[in-house]
Amino acid sequence: MELSIEIFILATLAFGLMAYVIGRLHKQLGSIMTILGSLTIFGGIAYLGFTGGLTGETAYLTFTQFEISEFGLFFAIIVSFVFAMVSFFNPFFIKQYKYPALYSMLFMFSLAGAIGVFFSSNLLYLFFFFEFVVWTSLFLIPMGRSKKAASWYYGFSAAGSFMLLFAILMIYNANNGSFHISGIGSVTGTTQIIVFIFMSGAAFTKLGAFPLHIWLPKVLTNAPDPVSAVFSGGLEKLGAFVALLAIVNMGGIGFIIPSIDMYFGQMIIATLGALTIVFGTLMAIRQDDAKKLLAYSSMSNGGYILVGFSMLTSQGVAGGLYHIVAHAIASTAAFLAIAAVARVAGTTKMKELGGIIHKMPVTYMVYLIAIISMAGIPPMGGFISKWMIFQAVIDKGMIFIAIATVFGSIGSFLYVFRPLAALFLGQELPQFKKTVKEAPFFMLLPMIILSLLSVYTGVLPGVIIDFINKIFVDMQLNYNIVMNGFAIEGYTSGIEGVGPSLLNPLLIACVFGVGVFVAFLIFIVLKKSKKIDLMDTYTAGNFVYTEEHLHYSVDFYAPLERLYEKYIHIMKNFYKSLANKVREFGAFMKYFFFTNKPEITVFWIVALMVFLLWGDVL
Amino acid sequence: MSAILLIAVPLLAAFISILVKKVSPYLLLLVSLFALVYPFFMDMSDVIIGGFDSPIGINLVVNKFALTSLIAVNGLFFLVVAVNIAQYKKLSSILLVALAGLNGLLLTGDLFNLFVFIEISGIAAYLITTTNKKPLQTFNYLVAGTVGSSLYLLGLIILYNMSGTLNMADMATFVEGNGMYTLFPFLLMFIGLGVEAKLLPFNSWVKGILGHSNNLSGAMIASVYATAIALVFGKLLAGVFQIEGTLALIIALVLGITILAGEAMAYASTKAREILLYSSIAQAGIVILLFTVGLGAWATFFAIANGVSKFILFGVVNRLTEEVGSDEMDQLKGSFVNNKLIGVSFTVAALSILGLPLFFGFVVKMNSLIGFFEPDFVSNLPGGNFIFPIIILVASVIEGVYFVKLLTKLWYKDSDVKVNFTPLFKYVVVVLAVALIVFGLFQGEVEELVASLINPGGVFIWN
Repeated sequence: MELSIEIFILATLAFGLMAYVIGRLHKQLGSIMTILGSLTIFGGIAYLGFTGGLTGETAYLTFTQFEISEFGLFFAIIVSFVFAMVSFFNPFFIKQYKYPALYSMLFMFSLAGAIGVFFSSNLLYLFFFFEFVVWTSLFLIPMGRSKKAASWYYGFSAAGSFMLLFAILMIYNANNGSFHISGIGSVTGTTQIIVFIFMSGAAFTKLGAFPLHIWLPKVLTNAPDPVSAVFSGGLEKLGAFVALLAIVNMGGIGFIIPSIDMYFGQMIIATLGALTIVFGTLMAIRQDDAKKLLAYSSMSNGGYILVGFSMLTSQGVAGGLYHIVAHAIASTAAFLAIAAVARVAGTTKMKELGGIIHKMPVTYMVYLIAIISMAGIPPMGGFISKWMIFQAVIDKGMIFIAIATVFGSIGSFLYVFRPLAALFLGQELPQFKKTVKEAPFFMLLPMIILSLLSVYTGVLPGVIIDFINKIFVDMQLNYNIVMNGFAIEGYTSGIEGVGPSLLNPLLIACVFGVGVFVAFLIFIVLKKSKKIDLMDTYTAGNFVYTEEHLHYSVDFYAPLERLYEKYIHIMKNFYKSLANKVREFGAFMKYFFFTNKPEITVFWIVALMVFLLWGDVL
Repeated sequence: MSAILLIAVPLLAAFISILVKKVSPYLLLLVSLFALVYPFFMDMSDVIIGGFDSPIGINLVVNKFALTSLIAVNGLFFLVVAVNIAQYKKLSSILLVALAGLNGLLLTGDLFNLFVFIEISGIAAYLITTTNKKPLQTFNYLVAGTVGSSLYLLGLIILYNMSGTLNMADMATFVEGNGMYTLFPFLLMFIGLGVEAKLLPFNSWVKGILGHSNNLSGAMIASVYATAIALVFGKLLAGVFQIEGTLALIIALVLGITILAGEAMAYASTKAREILLYSSIAQAGIVILLFTVGLGAWATFFAIANGVSKFILFGVVNRLTEEVGSDEMDQLKGSFVNNKLIGVSFTVAALSILGLPLFFGFVVKMNSLIGFFEPDFVSNLPGGNFIFPIIILVASVIEGVYFVKLLTKLWYKDSDVKVNFTPLFKYVVVVLAVALIVFGLFQGEVEELVASLINPGGVFIWN
């Protein structure tokens, strides 16, 4: 069977409109349309993509052109999968929204836009879809907790997409008026550097990388819970897509730094990526809101993707691509788990929660698996990708970048287990004894699927590595990852030849499994822990009434935080004062030019004339 | 049938309407409908008045540019009138004069005749703004407008003295050979027209007028007049002026500051009408910029798209202000919760101004920007091909932030603001919003339309 990709885009839009119409009549039914729609789209693209049945012909959207590329397919499958999984949550959250029908429609529309981005071979329409995603997702955000997040989001997104546009227009200019996507590779000289800078800027904004990251935690914290999952797992990956086009596709930019044998451009991206990892980690450590914590973790994981790409070796790029998959799965699962808790508990603040595991054991397991993957511990997908990125960085001999990546991994131990402990473990709070129940089956289903996939990608990387190899061939890159059975045996690359790199995830998973089994045995054999009442707490001989303040997740890492807490707002304050400067400039201009006195206007006109007539200016 | 009827009929009707006051609103509606429909049927040939061939006599230039402008401006004029006339019956005669003046502006091919029409439409505009009931502001507008048109006239006198002609096409050929002598008079004319076109620093009147506008004056000045003046200014910039040397530097500075300061001032404002008026200053700057650098065909449509959006934005905000009693953003919050249809149209108009895809604004903004990057494009303004696209893009970011703030306030806050919009107004606004989407979807067709404005020589004005 053959179908054009435009059919999928139009079908997604049609599903969106249907969801709206039906949603006006019945809220839940409308949101069920989003499930049907995104599942159909995901299934269709994945099935046809793997069987080679997708075509790029345009019969209806004749103004643009599509091409089916392996990397486009890769991203489209991931993002539509994330949408499909998240859509299961929509019916359970739809009642909280101010405009439920609109929500369902925009949810589908942003999926349509994302698919458009991934398959456009015309750069102008790539931008068209990019912007389309921006404004459709924009109106989803204020349905959540804060309205201000939307303008932050728009400000950064617009800056990012206009950087992309500027780069596209430079490419257009350099390629004699052609918008074809292959033009990215054929720009040279100064134009190439400008295009590289602006495209990377666009990628950084969309990915939420330092120093353009401020919007990400704001949006992920304040957006409706399912939308946060979509952003973190899906839409953020648009940035990774642009990064792939810019960083990997354009290759080395700038001059070569002889001592490390790397291009200057690579170095900059790697450094910024590493800074993203470090800042994301440090910020995540000090959050009390579980969503905000995951948001900063999303940011730091974006940094891994950038570091991987910037190495420009088989392992680095493959690691980056693998990390896109692993992080999409894990962060979606984590956000969904938190969403499930928030639905019943009404808060995501860690100090207000506790002991949820007694009522929501499955959600707990889902969250556990997700954070294991995010922290890069075997046997989950995140381990393989982070491992490959480590190796690539170390192969290049980049010590500081390597330290940053390791720091990020260790840091993520510090933070991802905090929500686990604070939200799920510990004593069950009295106020949740009656209200909290395990999530209904249709919410558990996507979470379980995601968890299984996390394990699958961590144990059997073959399918994804094959796909990544196909991407390398498709992008005419000289990279390759060699698989031997279940193990990653090595890599070949045009630059460094065949290198040794052995990673046997299956074996690691087995060892890990044995370890878990032993731990389980010990757990069974040893005596059970003693159950005590929540109020059974004393400190300094006094009975404690406000136990929230003594919740052990409050100020958990206070000594560590004290080291850097003075500096955390630097970037935010920078953007805030930038906004203030614009405002002041506006107020200044208003004061000077917009008075109620016409003579001021006349004065300016006369002043301009006098200035010009002064000694033959004209 | 000759294009002169577009000027003659409204003027005649204006006289008649003074005699028969009772039917004057109907007469106005009828004539403005006529002015909208007539361009579709009129002869596409220049009109020579008084039997003197141009360049001696006054002529009206009828070409595709004039036709497009006429349809757009008269269309907006008709809609503004149709929606508001019941409230402002007394102004019928004045509005008829305004219609004659605007059509004259768009049609005339004579520089002095243009001055006459500037004055006619200007006087009508001053009278329309008296309905704001802010006499001081109207007086300021009057002073600024008069100074502007005097400067225009002064520049024109100098040019006439040098060249001996007032005909635009003839002047254009004269200018080509004597570029450097014409810089000073051009500067005077540029400042003169800049007052009406809302360029900084000649535009202090805008705040007083649009900041206190009502249903009629807001849409009339911000949408109809702004579009007409921008197009006329564009006609001169693209067809007559020769911009080089110091003049180019001054114009570049004025336009760059107008665009950026306009957006910054809008960002610094908290009143809905002020936001819109400062934003329209920036938009005017962009349109004039596009005309100046020779991207006139897209500038035409930029101006039109902007006019349509501003009609919706000012129409809605003024109506809201009238009902709520204040145009502070915080007072208006949640206004769209109970007025979804109006809200959606307002959103479409705003998104179109931001240049987001699916809407007309995207098509014009993108193609205008692409114009800067055409391989054979050479900018006549200092700063090369790249500075101005960057200015436009930076401006768009600032613009986006305050529009999104405004939209989220109007949509997502809880409130019990319930404003009644007349069915006619709702209908008109929705139709215009749909038009913005339709033009945004059929971009291929729009591009063909624009391409037809440009003749093979690349100059689109005098074909």
